[in-house]
Amino acid sequence: MGGPIAVLHPLDRADGSASYKCPSTGSNILGSVNAPIELPGRRDALKPEEATIEVFVKPGTAPGGVGERYVEGILRTALGRVILGREKGYPRRGVVITLAIVGGESVGRGGSYLPLLPALLHTATLALLSASVPLSVTLSATVLAVNSAGEITREPSAKEVTTATSLHVLAFTSKGHLLLNESEGTFTFDTWDDVYERALAICHGSSTFGSDGDVAMAETTEGQPLDGIVRDTVEDHIHRDYAWKIDAA
Amino acid sequence: MASTTAAAASQPAAPSLALPPSQFARLQPHAYLLAHLSPPASSQQPSIRANGRAPSQFRVTSANTGSLTHTNGSAVVRVGDTTAVCGVKAEILHTEDIASWSVSHSSSSPSNKRRKLTNPTEKPGEDREDGSKDDEDDDNSYIEDFSLLVPNLSLSTGCAPGFIPGAPPSALAQSLSHQILSLLHSSRLVRAEDLEIWYQRPNFGAEELERHNEGEQMDVDAGPEAEEANLEAREIKAFWVLYIDIMIISLAGNPFDAAWTAVLAALRDTKLPRAWWDVDNETVVCSDLVSEARKLSLRGLPVASSFGVFEADAAAGWRAVVIPDAEEERKLAESERKGIQRRWILADPDGYEEGLTQERVSLVVDKTSNGKVKLLKMEKNGGFAVDRKELKDLVDISARRWDDINQILQRC
Repeated sequence: MGGPIAVLHPLDRADGSASYKCPSTGSNILGSVNAPIELPGRRDALKPEEATIEVFVKPGTAPGGVGERYVEGILRTALGRVILGREKGYPRRGVVITLAIVGGESVGRGGSYLPLLPALLHTATLALLSASVPLSVTLSATVLAVNSAGEITREPSAKEVTTATSLHVLAFTSKGHLLLNESEGTFTFDTWDDVYERALAICHGSSTFGSDGDVAMAETTEGQPLDGIVRDTVEDHIHRDYAWKIDAA
Repeated sequence: MASTTAAAASQPAAPSLALPPSQFARLQPHAYLLAHLSPPASSQQPSIRANGRAPSQFRVTSANTGSLTHTNGSAVVRVGDTTAVCGVKAEILHTEDIASWSVSHSSSSPSNKRRKLTNPTEKPGEDREDGSKDDEDDDNSYIEDFSLLVPNLSLSTGCAPGFIPGAPPSALAQSLSHQILSLLHSSRLVRAEDLEIWYQRPNFGAEELERHNEGEQMDVDAGPEAEEANLEAREIKAFWVLYIDIMIISLAGNPFDAAWTAVLAALRDTKLPRAWWDVDNETVVCSDLVSEARKLSLRGLPVASSFGVFEADAAAGWRAVVIPDAEEERKLAESERKGIQRRWILADPDGYEEGLTQERVSLVVDKTSNGKVKLLKMEKNGGFAVDRKELKDLVDISARRWDDINQILQRC
């Protein structure tokens, strides 16, 4: 199973865009960011001291419904904390993030958006980076399923999701804070604790705390940490963009 | 705040600078709440929220069921000044109106077939066990596939100044509706077997039927063949669909807890009339005897509790470089233990506090009969303050809240 595939700036007209494909969950998201832009006719809703963040999620096969409003709310709260909406040029303006679900399982009425959420978060982060929106930290997220035997599956497939007893999405900032947690299903706090350890290892490779020296977790079992994938994608893109300069030097 | 008024009293020379607390609260909401939570050490006052509650104290909650006479079950729940009214209306969905019924029914009832084909000598006791397990599996698919639970939450009632009556559902109302629906699904609160309406073909003399397990229990001595015949003669003809409508008639923060408690109380109050398929009229007939109506048997009692995080540094969210590492954060928290507090986790934030908190935590917990705490939902979003340790404490607080809500719902 390969790691996720991320492409920066696939769209020409948007200020910033990214596409993100996670092979294990099958989700494929295309996202665009326009910022800072003037939001027309919304003077009353605009906040005088910071940017208004708007998130739109477009499902692949159906018109958007209440489930999309919910996941938009989650994304707006999480990204709102990361975007520095008070930087010069941003107050009273808007940051509009549009995420289209291009592939993967469609979410039915009352269905869970959790398997898609990490891909949506990654796409939004990459698109914001591509649009050069000031961010305080970047973030990386993962989804884990726990089945009735207590086994934790990373980035479960649609089938594994239906048999899981609980689903957990955890997002960590690049500095190791837990920015977002969404868990549903039946579980105990101890189960969640194990899930947390695993998710931290997936997102950041080794455990970042404890100075005893021997707490470093096996990075190899989890593959490349997701935090690194975000970083590498941006590095690769910059390397390509500045190829002329690097070659000239 | 007390210090301001004290200062005002001692300096009558400059009365123009003194503001009554309510005005100060409006002009400087952040400073107002901060002054309450971290009073100067000299003032000898305890740290308390502006609304007089301790940080982990919930608002006074009351519930009243059966308030609406035209519904199958209803409840009014008041959490402080947030009031939710919930009504449950049951309507009949004929299986012939379900487009996918003939396909999905034949595929989704392997339990009967398997029982007949592979295990004809099975003891009725085991049978029951097996059947109930299958029910658990069927359950979700019936309720989810046929949308047997339809919650809708309305905020357009003039519940708060920001919500215009008669306006289309706001994003908040929509996402709350979705949260309630997905929690109903994931907690599997309602059993599908309560919502099924059966038809049993008359089997030499009218047989009493109501519940689909009864056939199996009656024929303990009749042998497997009779049982088989019985099972064959039974058929789901219709479902009850529960329309769960929630109106927030007054909104003062934390709508989810109030709405969910109202849903829970209303479902506990819901009574469905005895219904059966009348073969002559080819329709479902309901009994009008109240004594024959039965209540839903719900799975557990999931109780929601929400929290907000108030930060002393109002600028924490938008300064570019000040966010410390998670590791530094922990050290900071250690040193903080003795010294000055930077952030407070406020249980059940009211409208005023909600405007000042960015980070939210929402937990849904249930307790088993032996007192073990199960989590059904744990959400945390919008900040860096709540990590593992804090969540563990919040689970304990939510477990205590469960006891309170349990008592309140038992009483009504």
